[in-house]
Amino acid sequence: MSTAISELLWAEKYRPKSLKEMVNQEEIVKRLMKFVEEKNMPHMLFAGPPGTGKTTAALALAHDLYGEDWRRYVLELNASDERGIAVIRSKVKEFARSKLPGEVPFKIVILDEADNMTADAQQALRRIMEMFVETTRFILIANYASKIIDPIQSRCAAFRFTQLKREDVVARLKWICEQEKVLCQLDGLEAIYEIGGGDLRKAINILQAAASLGEVTVSNVYKVVGLAHPKEVREILNLAFAGRFIEARDRLRELMVTYGLSGIDVLKQMHREIFSADLKIPEDMRVIIADHIGEIQFRLVEGADDEIQLTALLARLSILGKKIQDKA
Amino acid sequence: MSGQAKIPWVIKYRPKKINDVVNQEEAKAKILDWLKKWPNVAKKALLLYGPPGCGKTSLVEAIASELGYELLEMNASDFRRKEDIERIAMRASTIQSLFASSKKKLILLDEVDGVANKEDVGGLEAIEHLVKITKVPVIMTANNPWDQKLRILRDIAEFVQFKKLEKRDLMKLLQHICIAENIQCNEDALEYIIARAEGDARAAINDLQAVGEGFSEVTLERAKALLRPRDKERDPFETLKLLFSSRYAWQARNVLSQSQLDYEQLKLWLEENIPYQYTNLEDICRAYEALSKADVYLGRIVKSGDWDLLAYAMDLMSAGIALAAVNNPRDKDKWTKYSFPQRISMMAKLKEVRGIREDLSTILARHLHISTSTAKSDVIPVLKVIFTSNTEYAAKLALSLGLSEKMIEILAGPNKHAVLNHYKKLKELLEKRAAEALAERVVRQETKKEESEMKKSKEKKEAKDLLSFAKK
Repeated sequence: MSTAISELLWAEKYRPKSLKEMVNQEEIVKRLMKFVEEKNMPHMLFAGPPGTGKTTAALALAHDLYGEDWRRYVLELNASDERGIAVIRSKVKEFARSKLPGEVPFKIVILDEADNMTADAQQALRRIMEMFVETTRFILIANYASKIIDPIQSRCAAFRFTQLKREDVVARLKWICEQEKVLCQLDGLEAIYEIGGGDLRKAINILQAAASLGEVTVSNVYKVVGLAHPKEVREILNLAFAGRFIEARDRLRELMVTYGLSGIDVLKQMHREIFSADLKIPEDMRVIIADHIGEIQFRLVEGADDEIQLTALLARLSILGKKIQDKA
Repeated sequence: MSGQAKIPWVIKYRPKKINDVVNQEEAKAKILDWLKKWPNVAKKALLLYGPPGCGKTSLVEAIASELGYELLEMNASDFRRKEDIERIAMRASTIQSLFASSKKKLILLDEVDGVANKEDVGGLEAIEHLVKITKVPVIMTANNPWDQKLRILRDIAEFVQFKKLEKRDLMKLLQHICIAENIQCNEDALEYIIARAEGDARAAINDLQAVGEGFSEVTLERAKALLRPRDKERDPFETLKLLFSSRYAWQARNVLSQSQLDYEQLKLWLEENIPYQYTNLEDICRAYEALSKADVYLGRIVKSGDWDLLAYAMDLMSAGIALAAVNNPRDKDKWTKYSFPQRISMMAKLKEVRGIREDLSTILARHLHISTSTAKSDVIPVLKVIFTSNTEYAAKLALSLGLSEKMIEILAGPNKHAVLNHYKKLKELLEKRAAEALAERVVRQETKKEESEMKKSKEKKEAKDLLSFAKK
C-alpha cells in the first residue's frame, strides 16, 4: 500500500469527477452530456438501486456544467437527514436567492433519497420546485420511482439507472487495485460482488477494508464481512432460545450501547438471522418468529421504547426456544 | 408554660450531637471518614439519601457543630437558580482563602430532589459546577435518589444510604419526649403513632405533639380520633414488592397511586426487575407483554397528546404485571433483591457514544454524499474493520477525514492507542513538512530580496559610475 501520509476513502477517491469518466449507464450519460452542451436541463429524477451511479452522475453533471467551481452552484440535500420540509424550503430559498455570475442561467439542487419523504412533504416539495423554477433545477434521486408522487414525476425527466453487471463491478474493483498497487485475486473480487450485489459503493468499501488486511483474497473478504457484521445478534438469539433470558437481555443492552444500534436496526438483523440457513430451527418457527419481530417493529413505529420492546421479544423467543427443544 | 413561645417539638428535640442520631452507624462512619480525608477523596460531594425524618439533615448539623464547621446551608425554600448556587459557592471559597484562620466550612444543599423543576432553571447544572470548583466539602440530601433528573449527581457525588428508623428507636425517642414534657404516655397510643409514621421521626414527633401537647395524658382513643390516616409515598423497592405481591387488580393499582415513582421511572424499574421476581419463563413473558403494551400506550400519548390513555398504561403496568404469575404464583411473595435500572446508569454513557457516532456519521455522510443512516449501516462497520486490523492505515484515513480522538476510539476499540499513536506521529510529520515548506518559501523570498537588493546596489553603483563618468 502507498506510503502517503493520509489516505482517502476509495469510494470518494475513485468517484468519477466528470461525465466523461463514467463507465456505466452509457445511455443516460450520453443524454446528460447533451444537457451540458446546451447549457440547459429540465428537472430530473434519477431512480435505481443503490451504488449504480445516481449521485455520481448528478455531481459529474454539475462539474461539467460549471467547471471546477461547481460547488458554488449546487445545493446538496439528503431527504433522510433534513428534518422536515420547512428546512428544505428555507435552504432552497436562501440558495436560490443569489444571482449567478456565470453563463449557465440556473443553479442545481440535488435532493438525495427523495423517496424517503412522506407524500405530504413531496406535495410541499412540488410547490417549492415550481416557486424557484426560473433560477433552480432539481435533481431528485431515489431508489424507487414509484415512491415519488405523480405530480413530481410528471415535472421531471426520469432516468432509470440499471443494476451494474458482475463484470462491470469486478473490472472497476480491479482497476482500483491497480491504481492503489494492491495485490488482489480475481476470486476475491468475485466474492465482493457476491456480497454487495451490484452496489458499487458497498463493493469499494469492502475492497478497501480487505486491502487493509494485506491482500484482497476470498478469505480476507469474508473476514471483513464477518467482522463488519458481528455475531452478537446471533448469540443473543441463541441465548434466548436456550432459555437464558437474563443473559440475552444483558448482551442486547451491551450491543445497543457499543454499536449505537437502534431497536429497528437490531430487529432487522434478527430478521436476517432467522432466515439464514445455518440457524438450526424448525422451518415453521421461522415464520412464527418473523411475525413476532414484525409486531415488535410495529410497536416501535408507534412510538414505543426500544429496549422494553426488544426485551419483551427476547422473553417471547425464550418460550419459543423451549418449544423447539421439546419438539426435538 | 403559657407565657413561653411555643417551639415545634421537632425543633426542640432535634438531635444536637452525633450520638443523638440513632440507627445510622454505617452512614455516620462513612461521612466522618470522608470529611477527614477531604479533599483527598474520589468525589468531592456526598449525597445522603433516605426516607424523610430519618436524620439526614440533623446528622449534618450535628457533625458541623461538634467538629467546628461553619454550615452554609440552602434548602428547598431557598431559590435554586444558578446565580444563587454560584453565590454560595463563591462565598464558601473566597472567605476561606481570605481568612485562613477562620472556621472550616461545609456546604449543605438540602432536599436536592426539589431542585429539578422549572423554577430552578439550571439548578442541577449549577450544583455540578459547584462541586467541580468547590474548595470546601459539599453534602446534599435527597429522599428519592432514583429520580431520573438527579442522574448527573451519580457521577459527581458519593451516595450514602440512611435507613428508616426502627420501631424501638422511635419508641425510645417518643418516651423521652413524653418524660421531658411531663406527659403520661400509654404504650399502645405510642405504638399507634409509630405505626403511622413508618420510620419517619419527624412525623412521629409532630403527631405526638398534636395529641399530647396541653394534655397530661396520651391515650389510644385520642390518638385515633385526632390522627387521620396519612398517605405515604413508597420508595421504589417497596413499590415493587407490593406490586408483585398484589393478588387483586385493585390492589396493584393502589400501589401505584402511593409510589414515589412516576410512570416513566416505574417502567424502567419493572423492565429491570421482572425476571428477578418471576422465574417461570411464561410468567416472565406475560409480564413483559403487559409492560410492552403499556409502553405502546405511553408512546401513543406522546404522539397524540391524549393523556386519557395513561390510565390504560398504568393498568397494564400494575395489574397486568402483578397477575402475570400464573404458572408460579409463589414467586409473587419471594424475597427478591431488586436492582436499580441499569438503563439509567448506562444512559449517560449511551448518550455520549451516540453523540460521537452521530458526528462521525455526519462527517462520513458529507464526505461520501450519502445519508447518515447509510453511513452508519454501510460505512462505519467497514471502517471498524480497518481500524481494528491495520492501525497505521487507519490513522492515515483518520487524518484525511479529520476525525476526532473520540471518533477514533469508537472505531478502533481496543486498538485505539495504536491508531492514536500513528495519528500523532503522522500529524507531527505533516506539521513538520508544512513548516519546512514554509521555511523554504521564506528562504526563497529572502534570496529573492537579496538578489533584488544586490541588483539595486549594483544599479546604484552603475549609476554612480555613470555619474562620475559623466562628471569626468
